[in-house]
Amino acid sequence: MEQWTMPSIDWTTLMPTIIVILTGCAALIVEMLRPKQNNNLIVGVSLVGLGGAAYCLLSHLGLPEISTLNGLVERDRLGSIIQLVLVGVTALTILFSEPYLRNKRIAFGEFYPLALWSAAGGMVMASSENLLMIFIGLELLSIGLYCMAGLSREETKSEESALKYFLLGAFASAFLLYGIAMFFGATGSISLSAAAGAPEGAQGLLTLSSMMLIVGLGFKLALVPFHQWTPDVYQGAPTNVTAFMAAASKAAAAAAAIRIFSAFVPVQDFWMPILYWMAILSMAVGSFSALVQKDVKRVLGYSSIANAGYILVAILGAIKSGDGNFAAAIYYLVVYSAATVGAFAVISVTAKAGTEGTRFEDLHGMWKKAPLAAGTLVFFMASMIGIPPLAGFFGKLLIFQTAVNGGYVDLAIVLAATSVASAFYYLRIMHAAFAADETAIPTQAAPVRGGLKASLIICAASTLILAFGANKIITAIEGEPEPAVTVALTGE
Amino acid sequence: MKPFLNLPSSWSFLIIFMPLFGSIIWALFGKSLMKLGGDRDGKRVVAWGATGLVLAGFVVALDFALQLNVMRQAKESFDPITIFQWISLQSVNIPFELRLDSLSLTMTLVVTGIGGMIHWYAAGYMWEEREYARFFTYLNLFIAFMLLLVLGNNLAMLFIGWEGVGVCSYLLIGFWYKDHANAKAANKAFIANRVGDFGLTLGLFYLVYLIGGQAASLGIESTRWLSYDVIFQANVLEALSHFPKEIMIVSLLLFVGAMGKSAQFPLYVWLPDAMAGPTPVSALIHAATMVTSGVVLLNRMAPIFLMSPVTMSVVAGVGAITALLGALIAFGQTDIKKVLAYSTVSQLGYMFIACGVGVFSAGIFHVVTHAFFKALLFLTAGSVIYAMAHNQDMRNYGGLFKKIPITAILMTIGFLALIGTPFAFAGFWSKEAILGPAVNDVSYTLLLTNIGDYKLTVGALAGWIGFLAAFCTAFYMTRQMFLTFMGKPRWTSIEPAHHAHHHAAEALPVPAHDEHAFFMSDAEVEAFTVPEPEHHDLDSTHEPKEVPASMWLPLSILALFSTGPIWMVAYNSHFVDKWLTGSYEEHHGAIGHNALITISFLVFGGGLLAGYLVYKKGLPEKEGWDLSKWNPVRRSAMNQFSIDAVATDGTSTLGNHLGKVLAWIDVNIVDGLVNLVGVIAKAIGSLLKMPQNKGMVRHYAILMHLGAAAMIVLAAWKLGVFN
Repeated sequence: MEQWTMPSIDWTTLMPTIIVILTGCAALIVEMLRPKQNNNLIVGVSLVGLGGAAYCLLSHLGLPEISTLNGLVERDRLGSIIQLVLVGVTALTILFSEPYLRNKRIAFGEFYPLALWSAAGGMVMASSENLLMIFIGLELLSIGLYCMAGLSREETKSEESALKYFLLGAFASAFLLYGIAMFFGATGSISLSAAAGAPEGAQGLLTLSSMMLIVGLGFKLALVPFHQWTPDVYQGAPTNVTAFMAAASKAAAAAAAIRIFSAFVPVQDFWMPILYWMAILSMAVGSFSALVQKDVKRVLGYSSIANAGYILVAILGAIKSGDGNFAAAIYYLVVYSAATVGAFAVISVTAKAGTEGTRFEDLHGMWKKAPLAAGTLVFFMASMIGIPPLAGFFGKLLIFQTAVNGGYVDLAIVLAATSVASAFYYLRIMHAAFAADETAIPTQAAPVRGGLKASLIICAASTLILAFGANKIITAIEGEPEPAVTVALTGE
Repeated sequence: MKPFLNLPSSWSFLIIFMPLFGSIIWALFGKSLMKLGGDRDGKRVVAWGATGLVLAGFVVALDFALQLNVMRQAKESFDPITIFQWISLQSVNIPFELRLDSLSLTMTLVVTGIGGMIHWYAAGYMWEEREYARFFTYLNLFIAFMLLLVLGNNLAMLFIGWEGVGVCSYLLIGFWYKDHANAKAANKAFIANRVGDFGLTLGLFYLVYLIGGQAASLGIESTRWLSYDVIFQANVLEALSHFPKEIMIVSLLLFVGAMGKSAQFPLYVWLPDAMAGPTPVSALIHAATMVTSGVVLLNRMAPIFLMSPVTMSVVAGVGAITALLGALIAFGQTDIKKVLAYSTVSQLGYMFIACGVGVFSAGIFHVVTHAFFKALLFLTAGSVIYAMAHNQDMRNYGGLFKKIPITAILMTIGFLALIGTPFAFAGFWSKEAILGPAVNDVSYTLLLTNIGDYKLTVGALAGWIGFLAAFCTAFYMTRQMFLTFMGKPRWTSIEPAHHAHHHAAEALPVPAHDEHAFFMSDAEVEAFTVPEPEHHDLDSTHEPKEVPASMWLPLSILALFSTGPIWMVAYNSHFVDKWLTGSYEEHHGAIGHNALITISFLVFGGGLLAGYLVYKKGLPEKEGWDLSKWNPVRRSAMNQFSIDAVATDGTSTLGNHLGKVLAWIDVNIVDGLVNLVGVIAKAIGSLLKMPQNKGMVRHYAILMHLGAAAMIVLAAWKLGVFN
């Protein structure tokens, strides 16, 4: 037996995750000691902690890529940027949670530590090449989400969504574990880097393993046919939880998917066609099902499915072209996160006195009662549709180019077609917010102020900043001075 | 004169920047200025600021002109001045660059000099206006765009300026937009200009296509192949002359653009209606500057035009038709501003005759003199209107010479300049410079026929038509002067009435036939015509008052330049030719110098005499209020010989029918297809929604497992398990 030696630990790499976990603990302690009816201190503590984590992560961006803790944790650009997205999404969600939770009469401060720990789970998941670490991260992320989904205990909808999410999530986890076990069987290791060195005869097992992992990740990413929970859970969960779930869960799962699919390149002939069809189905089902929905949160749930399809196209294109440049997928994730958190923040405005209206007609007249929310909604929806000069346009453009580069012209066409179809329901949301006729149920617009205001403005601004800083961000993702795909905006 | 500032040429951007800056300031802070400094002082700041910025541009441009004059003697010229890189691609580079040459500087001096005077006048004229700052915002913005048009060194910048002045013209015609007639006139101007701009755009595209596509074979190495200094190199022009057909198409298309902006037949229909705008606007934009930009374009593109005799003939022919038609229509007008509007149309025709017969510089000569005396005429007309309670109908005037003598004298100077009073006034010299070469033209336009030894070309015919139009000009302008200033006052017979006064009275009545041509129903027209109760009407109780000094002072400067001496020197020393083209050739033709002057004398004297004889006794019975007593020809002239009706109704009818066809296609086929897509999409959505309907977790789980199972089966199949 080999002598076990203490692995070298690079603490700076682990620091952001540690900070977020400890912030969660601190938030819990403050929650226990807090003066009643005021969660502002918890919010403050959380934001400070997230700020610190973000600072660490930003300083990581320039550092060389390393692997630490015996190969359990990676410090690379992919990990750092996804972690940054997670931290940002958590902060933005926490910013608008306090007014929402108060209006919705969900008087539980537990949301904050749960969100923080969940985010930490996502961070672990995003920064590891070790399948077990990815699994642990995923579970940490999910368990927090299960609890948060059921946070509105008075509502059956919320309870239902928590249970549904938990049951189906458990299945998905089981598949993922199966996949990991088979991977171990094929390679004798749980590190993804071992896939390349798998023996010839293990190809079958490795293929099976990839299938199982796809099921597990497909569930988290909300890809067809593992998507059905999405609209139900998005609708049932409290809106701030949905925002967090939509953005954070997708970002972490996408990071893991990028790592896992890249590792499985040796058997790509087997799983690529499957993912190809999953991408097409996700884009189509997401876009078309959303057309007939009556609830805005459900629409955004289906939109999340379609967007998962877009991200998958970007990943597939990058893998197929062989340059391993996932800039399109990552950039789109960032853009999607900003717009989706913003959109849910806008919807949270309708919560008042313990109830919340999320149907289209509930948004009517919003532009009069909450002009800032309605105004920023335009940015979010326009970015989702992909209208220049907002970031969504460049995101979709990059994915399009990546798909074409990878030889997936058909996927690019489906992407364009479904984008057009999706414009309909995004515009419908905008139309609802700007429709002047107030039907039987008038909009319950909570005053937009404080954290909600900040969250809306930051999200709306980032749809612009991400567009005009596209070159810079892509450079940060690729880590090269010369971006492969240039987005000419300033026109030197 | 020697240059007095010796500014480096890179400072030339200031000429454009200053009015642009002013425009931005008035737009953003104009209202706050009025609030902050009180209405009077706020208005003063805006007026003097706007005027000062334009006049400062004049000073800077004058300095550059004097510098250029010095450099000319050393056979030097200014290099193009690049302000910033604008469009920079691999194969084409379009910098934001300015060109300081004799043409651009002449036009800059006209635009800023006369523009400055008109700003000054407008400061008084618009004093009662509530939206004073908005007016000067537009006015300064117009100056900036006009300067961009003339100073730009490439076709792209010319295009920006061209469209920019179009927008400003639209905004200013519709300045009193609450009055529906004005809004309609603004629309009409914009739409008629669209037709011209369409030609210009196509012409520019074709030229770009021609030059860009052949750049290598034309010997162009620079990527700045839209810039004038690159296109107009001798070797490039030589190479271009091998494409006669293409050059003809390009030049004809560019001329269509010029026809729109410079109100040539048949696209002139917008200009008379444009008089609905405030009078300073009519003077600045619709007489002195913007409408001459077609002439500027032809001058700029002269080397291209000179290559095509067909185009030159078309230009001269259209110019002649316009000159005569404008003059004839003016006989039928009773509105003082409309007479001047048609006279502008007619004078613009002269400028195009000049271009058509190859004396482009004479065209610019006439642009300059015309800018002075027509601005003067419009502004004095404005003063008359101001004195007459905003009533514009000459049938109400009469005997005003004694009431408003300063205005009357100033207007008389403008009148004498316009009708080409020999030797003493500006119009004579520039008209002489056009018609002399025109009647002797043998080389630029197509030959029609030989009359003995005399070769009658299209250009020569145009020249003779020009003399005929000059006779008409003297006639109808005498009519206007006599109806306005001579005879007995006629407004004293108007009963004080209490009919609702509409602001529309100040605007020109929109001809009945285009009531339906634009976008609103009659009910809406009614709703948009806002009564202005504070106005008092012109009636027997009215006492005309002379305008304040702030209004007649700038006019006297314009009047000074409308007189002859300077222009006589310019004509006799061939300064204009030398300055604009850098060279001068003596023209010798069949019709000698003395013969020309004799003809001019006869034309001028005949028109003046005819006018005197007909109108010495005031308003003739058969030109009064009862239209049925009018001579049918004159009645027809009043309606522009139905050209406007045919053009407007024809296009609107055609447009309506075309629109109906397109609407049918849109509603039934395009919409049908779109709706079909929507229906299909929704159907798919409903179909996909079905498994979701019950919301049972077990159904979800089954689908998940089926998916996983399918994947595994597929993998197994691919792995060859089933073989």
